Amino acid sequence: MITIRSRFYKKGDMVFISHLDLVRVFERAVRRANIPVAYTQGFNPRPIMAFATALGVGVVSEGEYIDIQLSEKLDSNSFTEKLNNVLPEGLKIIKSLAISNKEQSLMSIISSSTYLVKLQTKDILFKENIEGYIKEFLHYESIIELKEKKKKPHHKNRKPEFREVNIRPLIKEVELFCIDNHEVILKMHLAAGSEANLKPDIVISKLKEITNLEIVEDKTRVQRLDLFKEENGEYITPLDKVDIME
Amino acid sequence: MHKLQIDDLLYNVEKPARYLGNELNSVHKIVDENMIRFAFCFPDVYEVGMSHLGMQILYNLLNRQESIFCERVFTPAIDMEEEMNKNNIPLFALESRQPIRNFDFVGFTLQYELSYTNILNMLKLAGIPIYSGDRKDEDPIIIVGGPCVYNCEPIADFIDIAVLGEAEEVILEITDLYNKLKKGNYNRLEFLKQAALIEGVYIPSLYDVNYNEDGTINGVIPKFEGIPKIIRKRIIENLDDVFYPEEIIVPYLNIVHDRIMMEVFRGCIRGCRFCQAGIIYRPVREKSFDRLQEITKNLVSSTGYDEISLASLSTSDYSQLEDLVRHLIDEYGSKKIGISLPSLRLDNFSLQLIEEIQKVRKTGLTFAPEAGSQRLRDVINKGITEEDLINATENAFNSGWSSVKLYFMIGLPTETDTDIIGIKDLAFKVVDAYYKTPKEQRGKGLNVTVSASTFVPKPFTPFQWEPQSTLDEIYAKQKLLVSELKHKNITFNYHDSKTSLLEAVFAKGDRRLSKVLEIALEEGCKFDGWIEHFNFDKWMAIFDKANIDPAFYANRRREYDEILPWDHIDVGVSKQFLIRESENAKNEKVTANCRTSCAGCGVNQIFTGGIC
Repeated sequence: MITIRSRFYKKGDMVFISHLDLVRVFERAVRRANIPVAYTQGFNPRPIMAFATALGVGVVSEGEYIDIQLSEKLDSNSFTEKLNNVLPEGLKIIKSLAISNKEQSLMSIISSSTYLVKLQTKDILFKENIEGYIKEFLHYESIIELKEKKKKPHHKNRKPEFREVNIRPLIKEVELFCIDNHEVILKMHLAAGSEANLKPDIVISKLKEITNLEIVEDKTRVQRLDLFKEENGEYITPLDKVDIME
Repeated sequence: MHKLQIDDLLYNVEKPARYLGNELNSVHKIVDENMIRFAFCFPDVYEVGMSHLGMQILYNLLNRQESIFCERVFTPAIDMEEEMNKNNIPLFALESRQPIRNFDFVGFTLQYELSYTNILNMLKLAGIPIYSGDRKDEDPIIIVGGPCVYNCEPIADFIDIAVLGEAEEVILEITDLYNKLKKGNYNRLEFLKQAALIEGVYIPSLYDVNYNEDGTINGVIPKFEGIPKIIRKRIIENLDDVFYPEEIIVPYLNIVHDRIMMEVFRGCIRGCRFCQAGIIYRPVREKSFDRLQEITKNLVSSTGYDEISLASLSTSDYSQLEDLVRHLIDEYGSKKIGISLPSLRLDNFSLQLIEEIQKVRKTGLTFAPEAGSQRLRDVINKGITEEDLINATENAFNSGWSSVKLYFMIGLPTETDTDIIGIKDLAFKVVDAYYKTPKEQRGKGLNVTVSASTFVPKPFTPFQWEPQSTLDEIYAKQKLLVSELKHKNITFNYHDSKTSLLEAVFAKGDRRLSKVLEIALEEGCKFDGWIEHFNFDKWMAIFDKANIDPAFYANRRREYDEILPWDHIDVGVSKQFLIRESENAKNEKVTANCRTSCAGCGVNQIFTGGIC
């Protein structure tokens, strides 16, 4: 078995397809591309592939990752070329590497992600204003978000129950990226992955709530820059420092 | 025309992928002013519409013509409609994101009577006058097709052209004529009058309907000389020669039927007396094995789908089914591409074949005995026995299945409580068959799902004269079944028959119902086939307001000599045959299938010149 790990982007109209849709797009694409993909066993065999994390609908990403298992050897360059020939516009493999079996799964290694978040503010603001708001926001030691508890379907008690989560430790960095009249772009580095995950929109709504920063609802746009694993205190991408098997 | 900006809307709606229009194999053309713009509308949400084979065929057929750009339109979901209204976005076609108001043709497929309000709502969202009489030369031509066109009288006032039957040829004859007249001094009425002369084209506005005092129809008369009194449906004679798409649009969303649909034949040799499709799609015409191999190969490589469904009204009647299935398994099994046979009959159910199919991908098992007793199955001419069902399920349980679905109808003509109890008996016998199967062979956790829909008498069937059971009668039968079908392994589902009442009204309705639909549009009725949107009390108030009694259409028995609203339409099957079959039903007399012996329905006289 050979596993190929790829970095790809998701932009344009493709941001409007859900994670499940994306899985289907890749399954069909590998079949159209005649890539010798390995299948799961059982009643409903599916190509063996795993994504790093699920990306929310509406989010652009420059750095998504996928592991695809092959049943026969295929070098990573022809893999990339074959797949890119059949992927829809808005999805493109940027880099692929055949990785060693010893590598841990994508999902288990991802711990954080960087984003650019574009906001529209009600008033025209200046660099100093925004930086002040961010400073104020990050000054808090705890920022509480109410998370709805998941319930089994048909649960008798229909009232939603909430639990309090302190999201402050999940925020590694928030900084002003650029500002232009009503448009503000923030750069964020947040926890991501299966252990702890924080969506940029939650940070924005908390920022708004705590600092009185007036932003226009529904106009926030998010772009993911990259996903990272942490190795010896260093943030590196899932394609950095991997054991290659070519 | 410029492209509408809808990106901001897409961030606010559920499932924005419904509105993208850029799926794999979708067609995008550079628009020039001579191009005929065709909006193919499906009056339901994307996931339902994209599952429709006819749309995939006609979309690709039209787009093969250089002079035509055909695009898709689905009913926007409620949230999208709200966003569109808020932002002044008119109904647009997916591929170009341009308003369909400026198109040449706006086509709707009529699959289901309860989508009529969606059609009107879509016209309204598009900004197109809903009544054909209010439309001007520059407005689009509203053209419809599909099974409900054979009685499209309830929506006759809203449409310009109805295409009766298979559209692959006639649609191009219509667009050709349009092209020719558009170049000269185009006049809408002149175009419609000339189009009416094309075989298979019905222009409702060219006919007057007269009524008797008792509310029945006195006659349907052409308004102009030369306009045909009877309009006959069109068929495609050779299915190997006719266009079939070899690249179909592959959606991003998980749609209702998300797979390759291979049409193996049209028509049906069975003569189930409740089945409209079995009559209107006659005669039977098969695609050759060779042609099917070729199409499948191309569809597999152009889509990347993992399932091929062999589509027809009764796939096990395909004369080379075994060869075809073996070929598909040999060719695609190693690529894990599964096969599904959605319309199997119990009698020639080849379990061995199915077992091999299951080795690639497992699917559920569904049987449709339709009625609980042999007597009633003879009445409806279902042509299967209890033994067939028990044998088939026994075999299935022996091969490891443990989940079976059984479909029934309630409210069938002549039905009594004994027939209803028969449904229970049959379900319990299936349960027994499971427990008789050796433990080591059968699968774990038996689940028999019994579904009972409400019978709707349909035009062009031997039951077209029959009344539909009243709601109270249906409720009593449903209640009886609920109390009888209590068993830990049986799940019983039934639909609210209120929608079936509305279905019967519009299936057998006439032009006076247009008023009802107009009021329904004003009252905001839409997605009536969706139980969460359907409002029965509102509908009853609408009938009241329009001064129309739904029971006149749904619950009234008609005499053989009454002129029916669809009598000016000819589907090729003679009325004498339908009467004969109606009498056979009353006498519980079975009619053999077309391959065993010809029942003389008349379709071969007209279309195939002798033999089916």
